[in-house]
Amino acid sequence: MTDHASKQYDLDLGSIRARVLQMGGLVESQIRRAIDALGSGDIALIDQVIADDHRVNGMEVALDGDCSQLIVKRQPAASDLRMIFAIAKTVTDLERIGDEAQKMARMAKSIHQRGAAQAPPTVDVRHAAELAISMLRRALDAFARLDCDSAAQVIRDDAGIDSEFRAILRQLITYMMEDPRTITTALEIVWIAKAIERIGDHAKNMCEYVIYIVKGTDVRHTRL
Amino acid sequence: MVNDLPATQLAAKAEVSALSFYYGDFQALKHISMPVHERKVTALIGPSGCGKSTFLRCFNRMHDLYPGNRYDGRIVLQPDNTDLLSRDVDPIEVRMRIGMVFQKPNPFPKSIFENVAYGLRVRGEGSRRALEEKVEQALEDAALLDEVKDRLHQPAYNLSGGQQQRLCIARALATDPELLLFDEPTSALDPIATAAIEELIHDLKERVTILIVTHNMQQAARVSDFTAYMYLGELIEFGVTDELFIKPQMKQTEDYITGRFG
Amino acid sequence: MRALIAKHKRRDVLFALLGLLALMIGILTFAALFVDMALRGFGRLDLDFFTSFPSRHAGQAGILSAWVGSTLVMAVTAAFAVPLGVAAGVYLEEYARKNWVTDLIEINITNLAGVPSIVYGLLALGLFVYQFGLGQSILSAGLTLALLILPVVIVATREAIRSIPQIIREGSYALGATRWQTVRYHILPYSSAGILTGIIIGMARAIGETAPIITIGALTFIAFLPPAPLQAEPPYLSFEWLLSPFTVMPIQMFNWTSRPEAAFQANAAAAGFVLVAMTLAMNALAIWLRYRLRRNIKW
Repeated sequence: MTDHASKQYDLDLGSIRARVLQMGGLVESQIRRAIDALGSGDIALIDQVIADDHRVNGMEVALDGDCSQLIVKRQPAASDLRMIFAIAKTVTDLERIGDEAQKMARMAKSIHQRGAAQAPPTVDVRHAAELAISMLRRALDAFARLDCDSAAQVIRDDAGIDSEFRAILRQLITYMMEDPRTITTALEIVWIAKAIERIGDHAKNMCEYVIYIVKGTDVRHTRL
Repeated sequence: MVNDLPATQLAAKAEVSALSFYYGDFQALKHISMPVHERKVTALIGPSGCGKSTFLRCFNRMHDLYPGNRYDGRIVLQPDNTDLLSRDVDPIEVRMRIGMVFQKPNPFPKSIFENVAYGLRVRGEGSRRALEEKVEQALEDAALLDEVKDRLHQPAYNLSGGQQQRLCIARALATDPELLLFDEPTSALDPIATAAIEELIHDLKERVTILIVTHNMQQAARVSDFTAYMYLGELIEFGVTDELFIKPQMKQTEDYITGRFG
Repeated sequence: MRALIAKHKRRDVLFALLGLLALMIGILTFAALFVDMALRGFGRLDLDFFTSFPSRHAGQAGILSAWVGSTLVMAVTAAFAVPLGVAAGVYLEEYARKNWVTDLIEINITNLAGVPSIVYGLLALGLFVYQFGLGQSILSAGLTLALLILPVVIVATREAIRSIPQIIREGSYALGATRWQTVRYHILPYSSAGILTGIIIGMARAIGETAPIITIGALTFIAFLPPAPLQAEPPYLSFEWLLSPFTVMPIQMFNWTSRPEAAFQANAAAAGFVLVAMTLAMNALAIWLRYRLRRNIKW
């Protein structure tokens, strides 16, 4: 796309986009560390994840402010308007993902502090988490490159996470029926799985915004 | 290009087809075709020198006042299928049906009353009573009556810029035009006066078709139902305003409304 | 820095003084002449001076026939020059297409304003006096002076019309007005101040003209008045005065200055004072009218 007549406009817009990607990177590492800690039981790492959420929140507030500034100064139209609008929404989704990662870390901490021997396995959850991380990463890539095709692919992949979540749920129910002592831990794992499923939804939303930026059509609540 | 328009019932007040316009040897407008929908506001936008004012002034044959100008193509006015540009149609008749408001408020150096009454006098209205009635109605329609009713016979020049422009709108409304042309009507006004004029345009479209040239894209987005983007004498894109400002079809339109180099 | 500014300011003051000096030379010269004339002629300025015919006796001579002649000639001049000049000016500005013909006419009008007045006199002698057979009459003189000031009136009309912003015309045309409606309701009213000024300045010039009037043969000594334009019997109006012989102020003055007796010089000075006063009064009227008419017009 050609440059704006105003150089500062380009710089401002570019800086906002770069910081969205930065925020995405931070959020991705939050999920990654939370899921790693779930496997390893590294309490220090878990505390770090929980503590880092305020950084994500801070970035959200800063980016929202910058978007408002840009709107009031430039009155963006057409593709610029769609970009700013989509960024403001993307930032909200990223912040929610941050919250989900923090929730996962809390649950992981609780599971490991209880140290129950009869804990159900978390392999399937970790697998679902990898899927969610991959979706988030591809959503950020699609945003960076304004790539509609890969955005559409991510949207379709969300169905995979949803079915993984249902499978995990069924499996945990069998554990809980077999041995009621696992119920507390199993419910915490359900919360983690639910968080992962939500992360997939947020990644999907982000991809819908990418399509809106590029094509100007709103694909939410429609089938691709 | 003319975008796909919604299939709702839209009556055309005027239909421009293959309009070209020449100042001597210079072709200022190139083969423009587009509709002007009845009781809607259509905005013409584009960079300086793109021909949007020239285009607007074709509608009331303003170019006939100066030598060496030539029209080509047609502007057909409904409901009676009159080709405004035809040699057989008297420009006086055209101007009696189509009103115009200019960039700079241009009240005549006469009283407020005489300004509004002028169009009626030109049409031979002699009855004092009818004049008073219509002048009052026009001032009311232009949202000016309350501010001036105690000083109708004072010079129009004592009014503020925004009031003068509303007076010019009243002057155009007094003769009940079918189509009202606005040539950058707020470019000489402050934001408050501008908002008043925009509000007025919004109210007026209930009864009159409006065509407005504006420099200010936000204004086009605010007041118009349809927008035409022109560049170097060509119509680049015509479409529903809400869509054109969110998702223009043409890259040139996109570059213009987002403030990019052409 | 300050030294530089001081230097530049000194030049400012220098030029202001120079300009003032130039202005004073003009004004003081005129004032000296006027005061000299007033002093020399003052003794003669009484009511009798205005109500007496010229006489061989300087003490009894007056300017009655001269000022009546001047007034009537001016009336004829205005009656012809104003409608012709204004109509021509309006036509050139509002109706005529701008092409080489109008350019040519424009150049000619400007040049006509600079033609020596004696040439107009010669033209009038041939055309009005002999060709049309109007004789050495008030009508001939009025027509001659009308011709003389016609370019002034046309140019003033055009200038006044040109100062009306184009957007006012467009505002009128956009409401469906014809050319004549636009001229009638806008162009003429808004330019009237400028046009009137032009007319009065032209008349002020005409009232002092001597050469063309002498050329067409105005009498220098005349002891009767032209027939009155208003009669006691029907049809009450009479135009006989138009063809009557006459004299005018400058000629009366010229006649007196060419006499050897000193007493007549005083008469000439008094008549000159009256003539200058008339001219100044006309200019003052022009300024006052312009102020009054422009009060309600702002662009």
